[in-house]
Amino acid sequence: MTVMRDTVVKSLAKVTVQGDENGLIPEYEVLVNLLPVALLNSFAERIMAAAPPERKAEVEAGLVRAAYECGYHTGCGIITSESFNEAVMPMVTEGAKDILRGAYAAFTAWGWAKAGIVQLKEGERMVIRAFDYYEADSGGEGLRAYMFRGLSQAFFDLAYADPYPDGMDTYVCQQTKGLEVGDPYGEFIVTKK
Amino acid sequence: MSLELNFSLDDKTFRNFLNGHPVVRHSHHYLCLITKLVEDLSDIGGPQILAEVVEDSIRTVLDDYFQQQGTLSEDERMRIGEAYFATFGLGKMAASGDRTGGEVRLQRSHLDEGWRMKWGERDRPVNYLACGFAAALFGAAFGLPARSFAVTEQEGMVMGAPESRFIVRAA
Repeated sequence: MTVMRDTVVKSLAKVTVQGDENGLIPEYEVLVNLLPVALLNSFAERIMAAAPPERKAEVEAGLVRAAYECGYHTGCGIITSESFNEAVMPMVTEGAKDILRGAYAAFTAWGWAKAGIVQLKEGERMVIRAFDYYEADSGGEGLRAYMFRGLSQAFFDLAYADPYPDGMDTYVCQQTKGLEVGDPYGEFIVTKK
Repeated sequence: MSLELNFSLDDKTFRNFLNGHPVVRHSHHYLCLITKLVEDLSDIGGPQILAEVVEDSIRTVLDDYFQQQGTLSEDERMRIGEAYFATFGLGKMAASGDRTGGEVRLQRSHLDEGWRMKWGERDRPVNYLACGFAAALFGAAFGLPARSFAVTEQEGMVMGAPESRFIVRAA
């Protein structure tokens, strides 16, 4: 049995989070936050708009990096968590490939994006398509799913690079299509750096 | 009056909602790096942009909630704002003041504690996010427009202080 995506999505989507008595959400070896999508999208839009042309690449890289490090550290906590262990691990029969499928199911279940892997060459290349992601609602110009790129790169590093925490920055993710520019879906390609 | 929480999930998109507003989860790594990014962009107003974005987006959430709840006292609004801060996982906030300004204290802080976990202490405050949140809270509590309050962080847990302290002044 490989990972049954819809089953995993439905199972993980039931997990809700909110701050404890200290106003903190300590989970997956990190502090989790739960923020309005409008805040995150508006920040990306306004900081990119404020950057002069010669610094836009630097700002874009910073936005991707924030998502990447979040995804790498939190992703490790997620795929070793009790909820992931219960929902996904019983279906894993194909090692890293199945864990990656499970990670994208979590990606969907937790509201980041309705997305899945459409091509996978293990350890070399992955193509993901997303039919809904919150960054598609953002204002601005051009392809701008910075969070999606960073998280996808992180997941592939976790699956195929050196074991955590030594595998950072092995792969890179580029966005080739986007709902935000009128394409029917977002498309993201992860390759070796 | 306590904050009522209504979490919901769109069955088709799997987007998450809190009291009707789409929300998404990230970690302290994300907010720490976003904060570092805006500091690196100080010459183009990075920290102010972050604080204003937070003020505007949180203000929308608070205004919607207060409108749905009907008549609330200013004190009730302050307490609800504090509860939202905690619900978002941003820490434990205590706010006091009036329409001329006041003070905000954080006994726990997602950003400061996350920063220390990631990079250790530093010698100056870092919580532009809480500055924006406090500005939104005071504006919404007293029914004043955006940018009515200027918020300055005086001490931060990231500096080793036992709690973070912010001064709020009418702009």
